Order: sequence, then structure tokens, then C-alpha cells
Amino acid sequence: MEELVGLILTAGELLLTCGAEMSRVEETIERMGSAAGFVQVESYATPTGLFVSLHDPAGRVYTRVKRIRGGQSNIAVIAEVNALSRAFSAGEISADQVRQALERLRQEGVPESLARQLIGGGGALAFAVMMGGTWLEGLVAGVVGTVVLMVVSRMERRFPRVIQAAVGAIVAAFLVATVGPYFQLNVNVTILGAVMVLAPGMVITTAIRDLLGGELVSGLSRSAEALVIAVAIATGVAVVLSLGGA
Amino acid sequence: MLVQIAMGFLAALTFAYIFRVPPRQSVRCGFVGGLGWAVYLSGQGRFGEVGAVFLAATGVAVLSEVLARRHHEPVIVFLTPGIIPLVPGSKAYLTMLSFVQQDYTQGVVLLVTTVFLAGAIAAGIIITSSIFRNFSRTKHNRR
Repeated sequence: MEELVGLILTAGELLLTCGAEMSRVEETIERMGSAAGFVQVESYATPTGLFVSLHDPAGRVYTRVKRIRGGQSNIAVIAEVNALSRAFSAGEISADQVRQALERLRQEGVPESLARQLIGGGGALAFAVMMGGTWLEGLVAGVVGTVVLMVVSRMERRFPRVIQAAVGAIVAAFLVATVGPYFQLNVNVTILGAVMVLAPGMVITTAIRDLLGGELVSGLSRSAEALVIAVAIATGVAVVLSLGGA
Repeated sequence: MLVQIAMGFLAALTFAYIFRVPPRQSVRCGFVGGLGWAVYLSGQGRFGEVGAVFLAATGVAVLSEVLARRHHEPVIVFLTPGIIPLVPGSKAYLTMLSFVQQDYTQGVVLLVTTVFLAGAIAAGIIITSSIFRNFSRTKHNRR
């Protein structure tokens, strides 16, 4: 029983660090808990902490608290854990298999690949053009966006997301403001495209889903996170532009 | 117009990589995003910005729910990257930039627009997902 408790807690922790919605975390824990033979499962998830209480048929209660730190958006891991918990509750795989799979997911963590950063730059290009930029401005935004993603990925796990966003925005604004005059670029649109790779899009979407699902604590705290990141990006850009005398 | 739709596709596809969606699904995410941006652009003139975003978000949410059921993935796999072209991330950034640069009037205008756009997206998503949830409860007892 003790091992099953740890297993359930690990699944919840993985989901939370990868940015899943609260309802998904709690559903997964309840599903795995009842499949593991607990008669009553209570869980309370927030973006920074996880509380689980499991009652076994003999009347013993296992209660655990798990502090959740850091983490980065990773939908692949969320989908994987989701599939594992379903297979486990359907009885298709054993607890041991689940444990191994979770351990593997946790250790692999996030393979940081150059491909992700290059493709991410394409997102900056797309946004610059969608906001009415020319192809040249899109191209510059794309290259700068890739550089920003590279810089930010070096800082991951060592600095809070707010600092990452501010530094990324400073880098983006500096590069665009330096290159801009040579190509007669619209600096505003180009910077806008480049910093979109930093924008907290997934945090905003999850915050909306949490809030509308009645998860007030995590919905509000994620909204606050998104707001702070947006302020950090804007401040970073504004600092560079005003120092440049623009 | 076609170029713009292609850019919506590209934005969703690339953000699928940024959010680390399973790579086998990323092209489908691109199509979801392209659909959303196409609906937004064609509805913008007739229904205004907020109405167009609401319709587009509904379209994105419906397609995401359908794809999620067909391919046995959580809805967020398609929804999160697919909604990205519509999310007013750029508006949020411009709002903050206006405030930081002490252009408060422009900042308040942008802030109100951002809030309404976010509300339109939320409405589109929540209406669709609650309809789907009630509709498919009998079929599989999940999500």
C-alpha cells in the first residue's frame, strides 16, 4: 500500500510540474487511487503543492504533502501520464510497469533539442507576419526568436520564469533595435513577433480552463503568473528601447 | 488571406513544439490553428473583433474535441497550440508596454480589449467542452 501511495503521488507531481489543469491532476489521482484498491481518495492540487489522502479498506489513512517546484510546459508528458493512469485503472498494466514508466518520464524530463528552438523561431516569424509585418520583418523576428529560445533554455531550472522572460525580452529588443535601422524595419512589429515565443500562452489557456472549472485558487494564481510574465516582457523591451533613445 | 491562414497554421505548429506536444500530433495542431485564424479573419469584418474571436475559439474547441476523441489524446494536446493564434498574448504585451511607457490612455484601451478577447476565448472553449462532456458521457465515462 505504501508503495502505491508513492506511485500516485509521483504521477500527480509529474502532471503538475508539466503544467496540467487541476481537474486533470485530481481526476488522475482519484482514478489511480480507486484502481489501486483505496476505498476513499481525497486530493487537493495547487500549482505549487499537492495534498493527497488515501483511505485503505483496513481503515488506515495515508496522507502525503508534496511541494511542487518549477517545471515547464510539457504536453507530451501530460498525455503520457494520462494514458498510463487510464491503462492502470483499466487493469491493462501493473503497478510495477507504471512505476517504471513514470520513473523514465521523470528522468528523461525534457530533452532540450536544437530542433525545438529552430522550429520555435518559426512561431516568431508567423506572429510577426500575422500582426502585419513584412516577410523581412518576419525573417528577422524568426532568427531573433530562435536566439531568445536558446538563451532562455540555458537559464531554465536555474532562474524563475519571470527572470527568464525579462532577459529574453531584453535580448530580443536589443537585437532587433541593433539590426533594425540597417533594413528599415518596423521595430515594434518585429519585437512583438520575437517576444511571442516568451508569451505565457499555455499559462493563460490553463488559467482560463481552471477558473471556468471552478478551480479558483489555481486559476487566480496562474492568471497572476501570466500577468507578471507579461509585465516582465514589456519591461525588458521598454528598458532597452528607452536606453536606445527611441 | 491564404498567406495569413498559412501563418496561423505555422504559429500553431511551432507552438506545438514550444509546448512539447507529442511530435506525431503537431501537424494536426497546425490545422486546428489554421482553422481558428481563418474563422477569425473571415468573421472580423461582420462580427467585430470579439465576436470573431468567440466564433474562432468555438471552432478550435470543436475540432480539438473531435480530434482528441478520434486519436485518444487529452483535449489540451490540440487545444493549447490551436488556440495560440487567437490568444491575445500580443495585446497583453502591448498593454503592458503602453503602461511602462506611460501612455496610460492607450494602455487602458488595450487592457479592456484584452480582457474582452480573453473572455470571448473562454466562452468559446467552455460552451463547447460542456456540450461535448454532456453529450458523450454515456459513451465513455471519461473527461
